[in-house]
Amino acid sequence: MRLFSDRHHVAELLAYLAFIAVVLAMPAMMDVFWLNRFAKYLVYGMLGIAIALSWGYAGVLNLGQGLFFGLGAYMVAMSLKLQSYTSLQQGSDRPVPDFMLWNAEPGAPTELCCITPGSWLWLPFQTTWFGIVMAIVVPTVIAYAIGSAIFRLRVSGVYVAIITLALVLLVRLLIIDFQPITNGFNGLTDLGWLTVGGFEFDPYMVETYYLIAVPTIVVLLLARALVATRAGLILQSTRDDANRARYLGFDVAGYQVFFFAVSAAIAGLAGMLYVVAAEFASPTFMDLTFSISMVVWAAVGGRSSLLGAAIGAVLINTIEATASETEMLQESWRAIIGLVFVLVVLFLPRGLAGLSHDIVARLPFGKRRRETAAGAVANPAE
Amino acid sequence: MSITRRNLIKTSAIVGAGALAAPYHFIRPAAANGTVDVGVLFSLTGGLSIIEKSLSDVTRMAIEEINAEGGVNGMMINPIVEDGASDPKTYNEKASKLVIRDRVPTVFGSYTSASRKAVLPVFEKRRNLYFYPTYYEGFECSKNVVYTGAVPNQQLSNFIPWIIENLGKKKFFIVGSNYIYPREMAKVCKILIEQNGAEWVADEYLELGHSEWGAMVQKIKDSGCDVVLSNVVGDSVVAFYREFINQGLDHDTLPICATVTSEIEIQAMGPEFAAGSFTSFPYFQAIDRPENHAFIERYRKFVNDPKAVTHHALESSYFQVYLWKQALEKAGEATPEAIREGVKGQEFDAPGGHVKVDGENLHTYLTPRIAQWGADGQGTIVDAYPEPVMPLPYVAYGETPDNLYCTAKGLDTSKL
Amino acid sequence: MADILFIGLSLGSILLLIALGLMITYGAMGVINMAHGELVMIGAYTAVWCGLLFDMNMLIAIPVAFVVAGALGLLIERLVIRHLYGRILDTLLATWGIAILIQQAIRLQFGLTFFDVNVPGLGPGLQNLSVPHWLNRPFDVGGFTVQPYRSFIIALTLVLVAVTWWLMYRTRFGIQVRAIMRNPQMAAACGINVKRISALTFAYGSGLAGVAGVMMGGFKTVSPEMGQALVVDGFLVVVVGGVGSLLGTVVAAGGLGEINGVVASITNDILARAVMYGLVIALIMWRPAGLFSFKQR
Repeated sequence: MRLFSDRHHVAELLAYLAFIAVVLAMPAMMDVFWLNRFAKYLVYGMLGIAIALSWGYAGVLNLGQGLFFGLGAYMVAMSLKLQSYTSLQQGSDRPVPDFMLWNAEPGAPTELCCITPGSWLWLPFQTTWFGIVMAIVVPTVIAYAIGSAIFRLRVSGVYVAIITLALVLLVRLLIIDFQPITNGFNGLTDLGWLTVGGFEFDPYMVETYYLIAVPTIVVLLLARALVATRAGLILQSTRDDANRARYLGFDVAGYQVFFFAVSAAIAGLAGMLYVVAAEFASPTFMDLTFSISMVVWAAVGGRSSLLGAAIGAVLINTIEATASETEMLQESWRAIIGLVFVLVVLFLPRGLAGLSHDIVARLPFGKRRRETAAGAVANPAE
Repeated sequence: MSITRRNLIKTSAIVGAGALAAPYHFIRPAAANGTVDVGVLFSLTGGLSIIEKSLSDVTRMAIEEINAEGGVNGMMINPIVEDGASDPKTYNEKASKLVIRDRVPTVFGSYTSASRKAVLPVFEKRRNLYFYPTYYEGFECSKNVVYTGAVPNQQLSNFIPWIIENLGKKKFFIVGSNYIYPREMAKVCKILIEQNGAEWVADEYLELGHSEWGAMVQKIKDSGCDVVLSNVVGDSVVAFYREFINQGLDHDTLPICATVTSEIEIQAMGPEFAAGSFTSFPYFQAIDRPENHAFIERYRKFVNDPKAVTHHALESSYFQVYLWKQALEKAGEATPEAIREGVKGQEFDAPGGHVKVDGENLHTYLTPRIAQWGADGQGTIVDAYPEPVMPLPYVAYGETPDNLYCTAKGLDTSKL
Repeated sequence: MADILFIGLSLGSILLLIALGLMITYGAMGVINMAHGELVMIGAYTAVWCGLLFDMNMLIAIPVAFVVAGALGLLIERLVIRHLYGRILDTLLATWGIAILIQQAIRLQFGLTFFDVNVPGLGPGLQNLSVPHWLNRPFDVGGFTVQPYRSFIIALTLVLVAVTWWLMYRTRFGIQVRAIMRNPQMAAACGINVKRISALTFAYGSGLAGVAGVMMGGFKTVSPEMGQALVVDGFLVVVVGGVGSLLGTVVAAGGLGEINGVVASITNDILARAVMYGLVIALIMWRPAGLFSFKQR
């Protein structure tokens, strides 16, 4: 098997197995509070994977990944909002979100079709499955559309980052402004629990943890398989030299659009699962800070390693939580995080994954791979 | 050994899963070791820490005072302070830590509605108790929150008629930050303006935190209004008042009458920009009562800042700890449900005056006051209700003291 | 109508004030400085402090803020940026970390709160920067109300643009900077001390941020977070204008400011910002290299 041809592949395989084992065994080691918290961090880990896929493998830095996360979150939150008991209290037999009533003109009919302008958009979300499907479909379609526009025009590098950044801020503004159908700044709250086949996923139960953990593992493995396919290899060649790939006859833009959309789909799924664990959706998901944080998680873990990016996200968030809950550090924990970012960029440009790669390379046993660490490219974008 | 430990933890996980059936598994029974834990959840970092840090401080101050006087029923209060980091995601996470891991029977916290909304599912579904100190828009009838800040009727029902009668103003320009509180305040304003025979010429919004007021103040100038009603929140207030003066408007002919502008913003903008304008709040630092003077002095000493200002949400953050203490004394046991039952009808002589928790909707009776800001950054109280006013969280839908929508049984949805 | 155009012009000048420093650090050196907003904030705090300690007029504080922010920029360049030239997206991440650090340092009063020391003028609260009276008393000129503060910002921005132009196109330093901009290796081969010039350029860009901070502080709020929102807008202006193009930056700032001002007065400020973002996206897609750009690299 080519996969196990050298020590790096063995090490990688072991790392994947260890990560999966830890994630699956978590319920045996932690109470429900930590399970819930860890589930949220796994969602962040999924975002790390999405970033690594587009940044590390395609060389496309998306500074607006929060857009797709937020859209996924809002789609499923709309469905869960209609499941909430508060939605049945608004003077109608059929569910109407409470905030629509507050935002409606006096005397408006209390029906979802027409209580506020645009509220009919909510109608299909009465079926929970619609919200779940849309949480993946909407980010993917939007990413496909945007991606087609930018990559066909051969926009690249830092300009992609700027466009995605402006885009997430634009959508955030619109969500806040369309308060009658989005509840604006406060976001969607008072949600019902996700119910599938009569089973209610209480955020603080083992089943819900697995509802989030299993997709995380699946996404990780699928993404890993994807980058090892022919398409994945071609993509990496476009990252390293787009023009050369173009001259070789590859449809560079096509591959970039495809991976951009896959990355968005993963972010949408992450947003959806976050809502299941945290029970609210908020326009702050589309804040600049959050989108940049995701990139930093991936950078700390290793931008060109899917597993590394996922672990980076979990790790940073665990450190943040622990530091902010330590009394001494309560007001200064952010400074520590800031310092970590700077130090990692300066001294570990390939992140933790790069570090472990170097450690493995120096181990005194096993077959040494001939070429140097070409797999972990120091500087994928730009 | 590891097996038994694993089994133990596993069991607790399963117990947690059964939380719905038996929510009080999460609550530590009345402390046997002579302390009772409470959560204190405000932003200590991030943009909102500008105000929330002071709320966190004053909450801890109240707890220290109570402990110094012997605690509650002989138990010392142990505050577990967490940082909401000005981010609803963090708020949600810390709330679940306090409720589910630390199993506190009560959390004091939040300044913005957005952060309250983000923690609410934790408190409602785990049946815990939250004390919320800020003025807000109403429309909440939770059995798991005690609201000690003002609701729209406690800020507006005296303010609008007073503006129309005493200032003789007839044309209102309503301006606010773009989210639910200012929009709901505007709704109540319009009802009151029309009832009192005046009119409003515009109802405009700016993004929360926005600080570019050029175009908006221009609109105010061109609108022909004779009074501006501001529901602008946060540090936008500073830029607003400064731009107002910079464009040549003045509070003598076209006063800003605000519902959110407090001592903090006045100090930050420089008092000369607000001198002559009005604000309606239940509490002002300038309230001339010995209790208030003593409170200000204690607070300044506690935060080690001789110039620190006090304001409405700060005062509420302070007295709500005392209301909680009295509730716990009455209840006898430190469970959320017992404390909630105990807090109903609880009265306290707060720095700003008498307050009382309503037994039906868990909001607080407060005394609406109107102040005119002076050049020294302090308000002069120009009008005050003779007694505390009943809180009506659904006033925009016609709730009156004789026709309550939010009662101890919950929200009467047939009236909406 | 003149009023509306004036507001647009003023918005443009504020954008330009922020973008000017970024134009230099990004355009000349390929550094995406996310801490630029924090340097603006440092400028504002410097003015607040000068007022508190020495009772200094905010206008006199402008050069002080330039020096302080410039010195801090120099420090950042020496410690961090220097190691990251050529890795543009890494500069973004590292300076994001620096931004967090600076914010926390101000909030924690340089960490002195741990020792129970309070530095007046710092801390987490809102600070008050007092403005000279003559700057906020508007007066009439032929039926048009002149707002001294905004007019002053416009004038100051024009002066800074002129100084920057002179520096870049009429001095030896400027020639060296532009040489490095086009091709750092070749510049080094021609005997230019690339490290030194780069450090000075970064310091100059940072100093401009400090000046912007004083002016921002005069009509917005001075708080540890004040810079965060500014940097994105500034950056959009620089990219739209064209990397390293002074003229492009000026035109982009003016144009976006006017569009923002006009849309805001016709509809509302929220829509105006949305239109601005939409326009920026369209412009970058249409001309990724910016409105005015030289063929580079």
